[in-house]
Amino acid sequence: MEWSGGLIHCFLLKHIELDDVAPGVRGAETATNDNMQSLKKISVPSANGHGNCEVMVGTCGYSYLEWVDSGFYPPETKSSEMLGLYGGCFPIVELNYTWYQMARGDALSRMADAAPPHLLFSAKLTRTITHERVEDWREQVTLYRHGIASLKKRLLSILVQLPPDFDRTINNRCFLAELLDRLHGLPVAVEFRHRSWAVDEVFSELERRAVSLVTVDEPDLPGLFPALDVVTNPALFYVRFHGRNIQGWRSGNMQKKFDYDYGEGELQQWCERYLSSMVHRSDRGIIFFNNHVRSQAPRNARLLSSLIAENKERLVV
Amino acid sequence: MNRERFVLHLNVADFAVAVERVVDISLRGKPVIVAPLQAARAAVHDMSNEAYNDGVRKGMLLRQATRLCRSAQLLPPRFDLYQKAMAAFVNEARQYSPVLEPGIGDGHLFLDITGTHRLIGTAPDVGWQLRKRVRKNLGIDPIWSVGVNKLVAKVATRVVKPLGEYIVGPGEEESFLAPLPLLLLPGVQSRERARLREFNIKHIGQLAAVEKKQLYTVFGTRAETLYNISRGKDDQLVQPQENQSPVIWREHAIPGDSADRRLIEGVVAALSVRIGYALRDAGMVGKRLVLRLDYIDGGNAIRQVSLRRGISDDFTLQSMSLLVLKRAWGRRARIRRCRLSCERLHRKSPQLSLFPERPDSDRKKENVLSALDRVRKKFGADSVRFGSQVPLH
Repeated sequence: MEWSGGLIHCFLLKHIELDDVAPGVRGAETATNDNMQSLKKISVPSANGHGNCEVMVGTCGYSYLEWVDSGFYPPETKSSEMLGLYGGCFPIVELNYTWYQMARGDALSRMADAAPPHLLFSAKLTRTITHERVEDWREQVTLYRHGIASLKKRLLSILVQLPPDFDRTINNRCFLAELLDRLHGLPVAVEFRHRSWAVDEVFSELERRAVSLVTVDEPDLPGLFPALDVVTNPALFYVRFHGRNIQGWRSGNMQKKFDYDYGEGELQQWCERYLSSMVHRSDRGIIFFNNHVRSQAPRNARLLSSLIAENKERLVV
Repeated sequence: MNRERFVLHLNVADFAVAVERVVDISLRGKPVIVAPLQAARAAVHDMSNEAYNDGVRKGMLLRQATRLCRSAQLLPPRFDLYQKAMAAFVNEARQYSPVLEPGIGDGHLFLDITGTHRLIGTAPDVGWQLRKRVRKNLGIDPIWSVGVNKLVAKVATRVVKPLGEYIVGPGEEESFLAPLPLLLLPGVQSRERARLREFNIKHIGQLAAVEKKQLYTVFGTRAETLYNISRGKDDQLVQPQENQSPVIWREHAIPGDSADRRLIEGVVAALSVRIGYALRDAGMVGKRLVLRLDYIDGGNAIRQVSLRRGISDDFTLQSMSLLVLKRAWGRRARIRRCRLSCERLHRKSPQLSLFPERPDSDRKKENVLSALDRVRKKFGADSVRFGSQVPLH
């Protein structure tokens, strides 16, 4: 099966509608005019009776000064103007600063109020609960729930990213089960980094809990969680593109780790292999690019959006 | 060119206790008080968070502190050790920015990371990485914050003390500061706070809401400063160590506080001898001596004496330090701490004099000092003392 060339596609884009989102802030030309497709939510009718699968593409974080240097934001853009400009390009953003510090209701509320009204959010769970678990992590979860509540219905998912050394031991399984219990009632997606979690029992349990398994695209290195098209929560599939920089992955420097530029062919292949099957089994999907270095993330996000939109004519069952 | 600044502030809460806990891990989790222990009227130099929660405060009489926190482990201050720890802390931070401004042995550190994003990533990531590095390599756990200037970053670490982090995004300064009490705002003097309280102004946001001309009426020339800092505006640059003139300093907390002239003179003489030893060891001479006296009631006095030519010999240093003591000591209150600094340092010229040989007495003094230094090098700084000195512990 191939993505192009008139052959049979496994990516079932029966027809793709581009829903107009709220007008919002259009921002400067550099951040808006290249490709308006990326601003849209893309509705893909799915084959399994779920109705349309709404796909949204965005980036992990939006506040990068180097996106000014590399031309995504116009020259002289200030940090406080970035979210408005970003919202002129994408319908969703993954908030990664909630990983560095506890979500604070007042700050998030101010941010959401200042953002274009159509912009939706996903928020990363704080590191003191996942990567640097503190003794009172249970209280931290309560604080997080309290802080994140200010995003109200604009919060599409909470991302629980687990560290690379978080393997599938009894203790870790118990911790994860309790964590998911404590996040009950919130939309949650779990990103594993350790390969040991790639087993059917885990997927079944996530499915039972209606928790999304994050599909990752990352370098092909031993021990890392594999890229899978498993959908554990039909209400939402969640994808993260980290880049495929093998040399930089374990360098400890984020600028090296996430320095990767996806080519069109790579994204096309990915759509064929993974996206097509996921949209069939889901009502909604969100895709984020984490390769933020030199504005590669927004560039690739736009490219993927246009690839999906361009293929609305190639309707193959 | 984007001119938005990013300043990182790191603060190791209760620095002296944190360092003592690295040296002795059995102190972890227990209440600890650092104070000179020799005298009955010793004052608290630093305390752990456990002791703080029991009501112990810096500067409190040790007797009162031990009543409030009976289970506290008492330790004498080791300033040399804290200075070494601070140097190691600065060294770790230097990996992330050349523009850094450390406090003097107090666990405070500002880094200007403006413009480093393409090399080492975003400001929050640098804060997190640096804290992780310091924890791993030094065993101390600093609070960190990010702000657009030193003022905002410093308030942010005060907010989360004793543990945590705070990121104040650009443009969020006013909304961040508004709900906080005035006590957290650096630069507001205590008498200004008292005056503001009379106007029922207790929070930073309330101060920010006052017009500049109204502030002028009450605070005169200070109005501009109060107006700016209440809005999170601060133009102070992070001063790299290299830009600061080098200083050699020594300090001593006087056990039990004292107003005894012979004792205080002996302490100042001992500090000057220690500075002289450090100067000669580094091949430097200094042209200014600055003495700070901290009184028991929280007041302080700072005076200085400048010299035409650089000095490093103990004899001149002692007489100059006693002169500056005379200038600084004008109160009857007991003195808690003395701190002597030698500034305007430069390397000692190796060039010999063209003119007549120095008098014999000078040569003799030089020989004596050289011999003393050799003894000190071998047996420790206090192994041999002048009669005027009192032993410093």
